[in-house]
Amino acid sequence: MSQSTELVRGVGLVKRFGGIVANDAVDLVVAEGDLVGLIGPNGSGKTTLINVLTGHLDPDGGEVRVRGRRVSGRPPHVYAGMGVARTFQLTQLFGRMTVLENMLVPGLTRPHSRWDEVARRARGYLDFLSLSDVEQLHARNLSGGQQKLLELGRCLMLEPAVLFLDEPFAGVHPRLRDELVARIRELHQGGRTFVVVDHDMESILRISRRLVVMARGRKIADGEPAAVRADQTVLAAYAGL
Amino acid sequence: MRGLHVYVLLVAAAVALATAGHLNAYWLHVSIIAMYYGILAASWSLLAGYVGLFSLCHTAFASIGGYTSALLVKWLNIPVLLGMGAGVLMCCALGGAIGWVCLRMSGPYLAIFTLAFSEIVRITISTEDDVTAGMAGLHTAPLFQSATRLPYFYAAFALLAVSLLLMGLLVRSRWGLFLRAIREDEQAAGASGVAVARFRILAFAIASGFAGLAGGFYAHYIGIMTPGVGDLDEMAKLVVMTVIGGMERLPTAVGGAFVVEVLLEVLRGFGQWRLPLFGILLLLTMRFARNGLLTPLWLQFVRLGGTRVPPLPAARDLPQKDSVA
Repeated sequence: MSQSTELVRGVGLVKRFGGIVANDAVDLVVAEGDLVGLIGPNGSGKTTLINVLTGHLDPDGGEVRVRGRRVSGRPPHVYAGMGVARTFQLTQLFGRMTVLENMLVPGLTRPHSRWDEVARRARGYLDFLSLSDVEQLHARNLSGGQQKLLELGRCLMLEPAVLFLDEPFAGVHPRLRDELVARIRELHQGGRTFVVVDHDMESILRISRRLVVMARGRKIADGEPAAVRADQTVLAAYAGL
Repeated sequence: MRGLHVYVLLVAAAVALATAGHLNAYWLHVSIIAMYYGILAASWSLLAGYVGLFSLCHTAFASIGGYTSALLVKWLNIPVLLGMGAGVLMCCALGGAIGWVCLRMSGPYLAIFTLAFSEIVRITISTEDDVTAGMAGLHTAPLFQSATRLPYFYAAFALLAVSLLLMGLLVRSRWGLFLRAIREDEQAAGASGVAVARFRILAFAIASGFAGLAGGFYAHYIGIMTPGVGDLDEMAKLVVMTVIGGMERLPTAVGGAFVVEVLLEVLRGFGQWRLPLFGILLLLTMRFARNGLLTPLWLQFVRLGGTRVPPLPAARDLPQKDSVA
């Protein structure tokens, strides 16, 4: 992996909550074009790692670099401005704002953005995500699957270099889950970089080009899905794989 | 007819200005005070309704604005308007500082913090007799040398109109969209690229500045400033006005201020019993009409002439779907 293609690098990341070590010296590099599946048992520190890598939590040790620049300790909007977008484990939309407004917010934070251009782009993505018909509905009135799609759309409005998706398939109807998988694949083929956390192993394995496994706050495997699945450490730590 | 409600409002404003001269001194005074509360209610709605920052020190800023202006005019003999401007700047700076200190607070924590600040301001003003004249009240220079209240009516009207225009432009801009996003979910707003801390501080500074403007006008209209201008009773009254009207829209917040102020006068015969009435009205509003009693009426009003009410003020001017290539 060359330095020039490296988008996000976490080095020796440590995060503690009281006596619990959620991330214990985790190293993770996300390079341009990656489609990383991040898996692990409950409580293994996956979401904490995403929170640290996107600026929503400050690490107690180690550092985060985006495009080679140290950004740990900076607020989340700085990460977003550098092209690091994320969704949340429990969908976090602007509930009493319309679907279109949800899309406009990230678009309008971009420097030199114009309303009409941002609105045009938002409508393009809403069309891509099959949400055009509901653009004037309040986000809280959408179905669970539509909310996941909208959260993805909101990320796309940042024109991000890398998207961290935290459990995008959780609680989503199978039909919408297939649509979500198809959209992620399509976006990846279009050059987007993804890190996807989920318990839905089938969906993760369908899309991932690289698997990272966490257990008890540590990264225990990182490589091609087939190799990782055969790893004895992984099998021991992650029953059912 | 598109935008008919705007024309109706303009005509109503013109009629109010043209007929104000026919009001007797008492109702002229009630109208002026209603407009003072209108500025306070709109600016508190900006903070509490649009950004979700439930501050309880808004009337304290009105008090600070009033005292700053009155004292500067007294000490430096500067024009009243300059004093009012200084009051606005002082409130913007202090409001921004409070916003910065409260960055990680919301809900009850923010309410308690701002309540404490409000009491500190009131007690300081009460006890610093040498500077503020304490409970005896600080006599202030008048804004106009006039035998009637009419110039004050026009001045209050202009201040309210300009304040609403400026706040309206803000909430319809991209900044307004960001402020509402912060209200909905600060974490998601940050992830969407919104500089949450900066906008929270800005919201506090701007809202406090308008409170300072209202306070400055009040000081030079009434002729005396007392610590009571910023006390908790006043804050409670402001909350009642804004919530009953509808705190998530500027016009409904102002409408609430007008309705409550006029009702307070109309029901004066009930003495202190009129105040529990407003308490009951507030309880009923919170239980059955959280968006305020005037919000449904306002929404009907803006639908005049078949104009569709956009769910978001900010998206009103966007190109419609058909026109997007």
